[in-house]
Amino acid sequence: MAPRAPKLSRIELLQGTLDLIILQSLRWGPRHGYGLVQHIRAVSNGVLQVDAGSLYPALHRLERQKLVNASWETSERKQRVRVYKLTRAGQARLADQRSRWEQFSEAIAGLFVPPTATAEEP
Amino acid sequence: MSAWWKGRRQRARDLEQEMRTHLEMDIADRVARGEAPDAAARNARLDFGSATDVRETTSDMWSGELLHQTSQDIRYAIRGLLRAPGFAIVAVLTLALGIGANTAIFSVVNGVLLRPLPFPRPSQLVFVQSKFAKLGLEEFPADLGEFIELRSRSRSFQDIGAYTTGPVNVGADDAPQRVSAGRITQSMLSTLGVVPVQGRTFNEQESIPNGPLAVMLSHELWESAFGRRPIVGTQIDVDGLKRTVVGIMPPNFDIHDARARIWIPLQIDMSNPAQYRGGHFIYMVGRLRDGVSLPAARAELETMLAQWASLDGGSQSTTPGAPGFVHSPNQTTHRLRFDDLQANMIGGIGRALWILQAAVVFVLVIACANLANLLLMRAESRHRELAVRAALGAGRGRLVRQFLIESLVLSLAGGAAGVALARLGLRTLVATGGAGLPRMTSIEIDGRVLAFTLGLALLSGLVFGMAPLMHLGARNMGLALRDGGNRTATGARNRVRRALVIGEVALAVTLVIGAGLLLRSFWNLIRVDAGFDRTNLTTFSVSLPPRVYKDNQRRVATFEELIRKLSATPGVTSASVMSGLPPQRNIDANDVAYEGYTPSADEPPTNAEYFQIVTPGYFTTMRIPIVSGRGFGPSDDARSQPVVVINETLARRYYRNQNPIGRRLQQGGSKTFFTIIGVAKDVKQGGVDSKVGTELYLLYEQCPTTAFNYTPASLNVVVRSTLSPSALSPIVRRNLSALDASLPVVGFRSMDEVISDSVARPRFLAQLLGVFATVALLLSAIGTYGVLAFAVMERRREIGVRMALGATERGVLTMVLRQGLGLALAGLVIGLIGAAALTRLTSAFLFGVTPLDPSTFLAVSAFMLLVAGAAAVVPALRATRVDPLQALRAD
Repeated sequence: MAPRAPKLSRIELLQGTLDLIILQSLRWGPRHGYGLVQHIRAVSNGVLQVDAGSLYPALHRLERQKLVNASWETSERKQRVRVYKLTRAGQARLADQRSRWEQFSEAIAGLFVPPTATAEEP
Repeated sequence: MSAWWKGRRQRARDLEQEMRTHLEMDIADRVARGEAPDAAARNARLDFGSATDVRETTSDMWSGELLHQTSQDIRYAIRGLLRAPGFAIVAVLTLALGIGANTAIFSVVNGVLLRPLPFPRPSQLVFVQSKFAKLGLEEFPADLGEFIELRSRSRSFQDIGAYTTGPVNVGADDAPQRVSAGRITQSMLSTLGVVPVQGRTFNEQESIPNGPLAVMLSHELWESAFGRRPIVGTQIDVDGLKRTVVGIMPPNFDIHDARARIWIPLQIDMSNPAQYRGGHFIYMVGRLRDGVSLPAARAELETMLAQWASLDGGSQSTTPGAPGFVHSPNQTTHRLRFDDLQANMIGGIGRALWILQAAVVFVLVIACANLANLLLMRAESRHRELAVRAALGAGRGRLVRQFLIESLVLSLAGGAAGVALARLGLRTLVATGGAGLPRMTSIEIDGRVLAFTLGLALLSGLVFGMAPLMHLGARNMGLALRDGGNRTATGARNRVRRALVIGEVALAVTLVIGAGLLLRSFWNLIRVDAGFDRTNLTTFSVSLPPRVYKDNQRRVATFEELIRKLSATPGVTSASVMSGLPPQRNIDANDVAYEGYTPSADEPPTNAEYFQIVTPGYFTTMRIPIVSGRGFGPSDDARSQPVVVINETLARRYYRNQNPIGRRLQQGGSKTFFTIIGVAKDVKQGGVDSKVGTELYLLYEQCPTTAFNYTPASLNVVVRSTLSPSALSPIVRRNLSALDASLPVVGFRSMDEVISDSVARPRFLAQLLGVFATVALLLSAIGTYGVLAFAVMERRREIGVRMALGATERGVLTMVLRQGLGLALAGLVIGLIGAAALTRLTSAFLFGVTPLDPSTFLAVSAFMLLVAGAAAVVPALRATRVDPLQALRAD
């Protein structure tokens, strides 16, 4: 493959996870895009850094899929901000993705448990 | 659409605002954390990344998912193809050949067979001719008496028009031109429903004897000879007569491929049909009344035929000369026939065109098989890429689509190139005179042809695009990343590749055999003994304007002078005139009474099928042997007794077991007796593939005083010369213009060309099929080569092992060669079976060779194996150069 990856691959790579992160972050209340970036960075202690180039396309895609809806509001600093809110469908999707994620991370965690029996040599 | 567009603009504005506040908030936070405002702005922007990227990617999210992904796939496909330009070029060229050939042939099929005639309600048009079944004349011109009477008596037709064609000399703006003229009745154009683009059609006065002389120009002649200048109302010179141009026809107007460039009214007296009886020289086109079918019209004709003679005041007698006989149509010997106009024009060419269409479909299938193989091999080498994409979350459906889109991009590019190729091919076809195809002017790349091409391109893209999809089987996908994944499914894929090659070899074999049979037929046709020595013979025709050369003696004197001048030219052995140009000319079939021969009761009136009017040097010039008696000599001239030479067929027909020399004959209705002085060897007149008809040779010099008092003004000149045609041409022109500068030299050709042109249709079929078979052969050879080369590359390790274990170079070479020949042999067997089944369809076009001709089948088989061997040699040699150490280390 060419060294220059297609533009969307960042999203493709993160797609499943980023959606989960956004939906989960909106669970406790509506936020605007900048607020989401700050929130995600804060709760992950700076491990998860979502750049704008991934965030906004993802937000708009979720909006299109009607998992979130957006409205213009005025912030405490008197700025017009676009605020995203989880829809009913978004909540359902979040629950679904969350359980899948838990399954997945349990499985991964299982890999780190020392084996009880030795693997057979062929 | 506009709501969608508004939504899109709104979303774009929202996003801009959103990004702006995002930055503002970030900057504010940074400043609050103590960064300098400048640095804060810079860092915030850096953190945010490219706004353009965000804009594009986000708006992508909103455009339809499928549409978006498809356009992405297309871009990806094009990028991928550009990265492998060699592959892309080969693929597009292969497709261009396959699709282009189909487009070109379908243009011909469409133009000739499918498109309706360019007249209103063309299915109502009926072509009407005479038919003399007992004389073997299935389609023969009618006479004007029949036209007048059919038009007034039949209830089936709205109207009927009649026409005839012949050459005329037209005084064009710069030089005289000889063109084909259509002479038409007043009813002709209204029957067809043709309206002139300028001026009017002929009126009644112009269509009766001694009326004003009018003419209509074809759009083409108006352009080429008169430069589109305003011409309606002015006079032009036609065969030495001033005629007023009354109108200009629409572009491409023609009747039954008469190729007429100028239109002249037939001036006839409709009140007196009897005077026209027996002069068969016109064709009729009738338009059926609404709701009347062709079978209904034919049924009415049957009733009319039963009464025709008695209505004309005659008896039921069908024997000329018998009491009460009138030359009118009847139910037995002299019928009229009704045919659908378009069907009659197309004639027997339909099957030939469909055969060609099938042949090019074969070529395209072979091309697709090659591409399928190419894509398969390419997919093999792209296996890792696919695995990576799959691992990154690209769904199977997405990958399938990706492959199909790649092949569709290829096939559409190939289709576009194919249209260009077809345009080129069609231009060549038209430039070479269209090979005697009917309806040439309606052959073009129109909407239907383009739709056909697009459909074909999409279809072939889908077909060969399926091949690499075999790689998307769920099982190999997971394995791909681990080891390059090309072990497990190799066997299956090899089988597919081999099957494809066998299939294309089989198709190519079938095509090559078909082409071989037709080429042999064509070869046989042009080698038929036409009855004369065609080498070093050149011919052309000269038409003296009959109104200028009113005096018959002057016509004779002019041609004799021309012959004298030509014969005196150094390099010219001899020259002569002849009224008909062998080996294919129109039949005369005029009545002749043979003294002492009494026809039996059920025999048609005695006649001679061909009349050949010549000058004395004819038999010497053409080297036609005189088998008994003598040819024309110096003692035969205008003052001596009228003499005639007959051909062998006529001698056998009317003088069986008798010596014809010295016997006499009379032309129908004439009192003059001609004495037979010799019998000449048969010369072909109805085509090289037809039986020779009865023929009379008359002396031109004697025409003014004897033969119907008819002295043709239009004759062919034949010259035997050691000069090349190109050296002879200026000499001929110089000599002719020395006699009359207004006379054009027409149809200057070598006799070889004349014979070859007389088999233009078989030549056309054989040539095109030959070209397609060659392409098929090449493609299948390339296919064989590709598969073997790939197999050698793939089996490098195995070959290395074999060589390490002591296999000789020779052994490796034979192994690969055997593999290649095995494929070819399998294809050959299937192809031979296919050919045996299919060549029967071509039997109507074969001459002197049977559809299962063993020598053709054998020769093609040997040739195919040779080609396959050649295709296998390079990969085989490459296999012998495998370095065992390297091969084992690889991977």
